[in-house]
Amino acid sequence: MTSMTLIEAAEALRAGQVSSTELTEECLKRIESLNPRLNAFLTITAEIAREQALQADRERRSGMDRGPLHGIPIAHKDLFCTAGVRTTSGSKLFENLVPKFDAAVVERMREAGAVMLGKTSMHEHAYGITCDNPHFGAVHNPWDLARIPGGSSGGAAAAVAAGLCLMGTGSDTGGSIRVPASYCGVTGIKPTFGLVSKYGALPLGFSLDHVGPIARTVRDVAVSLAAMAGPDKRDPNSARRHADDLLPPKEIASLAGVKIGIPENFFFERIDMQVDNAVHFMAYRAQDLGAELVSLRVPDGRQLNTIAQITLLVEAAAVHEPYIRKQRKLYGEDVRTLIDMGRVIPGVDYVQAQRLRRRAQDVFRMILKQVDCLLLPTTPITAPNIGQSEVAIGGETEDVRMATTRLVRGFNALGLPSLAMPAGFTRGGMPIGMQLVGRPFGEKELLRIGAAIEDATGHTLRRAGVSTA
Amino acid sequence: MRDWITTAAGLKIEITEKMQKTLEGLDKNMLGLRGLIDWQEEPILHCSVPQPEDDAE
Repeated sequence: MTSMTLIEAAEALRAGQVSSTELTEECLKRIESLNPRLNAFLTITAEIAREQALQADRERRSGMDRGPLHGIPIAHKDLFCTAGVRTTSGSKLFENLVPKFDAAVVERMREAGAVMLGKTSMHEHAYGITCDNPHFGAVHNPWDLARIPGGSSGGAAAAVAAGLCLMGTGSDTGGSIRVPASYCGVTGIKPTFGLVSKYGALPLGFSLDHVGPIARTVRDVAVSLAAMAGPDKRDPNSARRHADDLLPPKEIASLAGVKIGIPENFFFERIDMQVDNAVHFMAYRAQDLGAELVSLRVPDGRQLNTIAQITLLVEAAAVHEPYIRKQRKLYGEDVRTLIDMGRVIPGVDYVQAQRLRRRAQDVFRMILKQVDCLLLPTTPITAPNIGQSEVAIGGETEDVRMATTRLVRGFNALGLPSLAMPAGFTRGGMPIGMQLVGRPFGEKELLRIGAAIEDATGHTLRRAGVSTA
Repeated sequence: MRDWITTAAGLKIEITEKMQKTLEGLDKNMLGLRGLIDWQEEPILHCSVPQPEDDAE
């Protein structure tokens, strides 16, 4: 049962072929068996899950249908506040924090009838991409336990890839949904800034944080995002937009009329050859479906990354200002270093970065008038080993963190929606990821294009090898 | 170029060589980017003023 996609499970639930209780018990059994090796879950809420599953089954028997997530077992990243359930943000600092309220995304998932299995592991304070957590241990990639799952939503991606849950909530400040989706061979979307409320999500970068789902397929992600999205007055950045109908049609025969931009510069420079080939292959599949591939030049990504880095360093330093001075020892070394760097960057640089950010947004708005979306690799490499700090790409050595975030970080500064999905596998069997970047609030079209390419390639059918044996 | 060690010391922050290199790199990039700034343009910073409809609720 846990090999089903979310959409398949929803159809089985509606048809009465399976109950939410059966699905939930199957997931709990798998978590019990595999979590000691993966460390994908920090907290397992079996009792809550069983109660919610029973309620979903009762509701369904009485004729109620809350939608595609009704009775579906999911997990929440451990930075979303959950009433009565500890919310650590992967940190020692909040090790014993038990919120009295639910984050907006938790509320919406509950209203949609989803079943909460627990809270997923993450990089400390969501400030990193390895999930090699100094307080709760490293999270392992289900495709190769020696490798990182990516981060910071690594627990969610590992849990989905290993079939421990059918969807995981995530957050993305500099790639934290898309990087683990890429490294774990699953699908995730960083929606347009403001589409999903951040209320009750422990912050990292006020103007860069995005909330979104991680699941197996594009359609799984589409129904999850639709349930999460919508205005929320408690979040000052919440957009007054709904996204009720995002599910792409069952069969998309053609992408005729769709223009897909393939950047000539930056995004295909200094990337692993197997990643390059796989992502181009995906572009050609889109072309086979009728899409027009448009070769174009984009602004230098290094400039955009600088803007995003300065913005994040300063905003994260501001978030942690109340704690970093008096409780320094409660932070892991990598996170403490980043916060300290943010504290010394002058305010004037931050403001200038926001000026440049607006300029970059204008340029990308023009580009996205010429094409419907951009098709790019998500990460230039596949998942590195746990503890690996450098990686060689095309004969050059690069810091793993910088390499991993190089192609994703800029889209947080731009606030544009980006769908990360599998693009194939290396000869060694590790997942390769690609991203489709679209127009502001253009999620519906982005998901339709993604679903068409997914249908034509079938990479999501392949399962991670981790077994319960 | 900025003297990051002195700046950090003023804030009682110790800067490692790696941190210094990163900050220098960002500083250098920002200096280069200044040429792109449209000085007439407002940065992406805004003041959220409650709307009358919000007050009414």
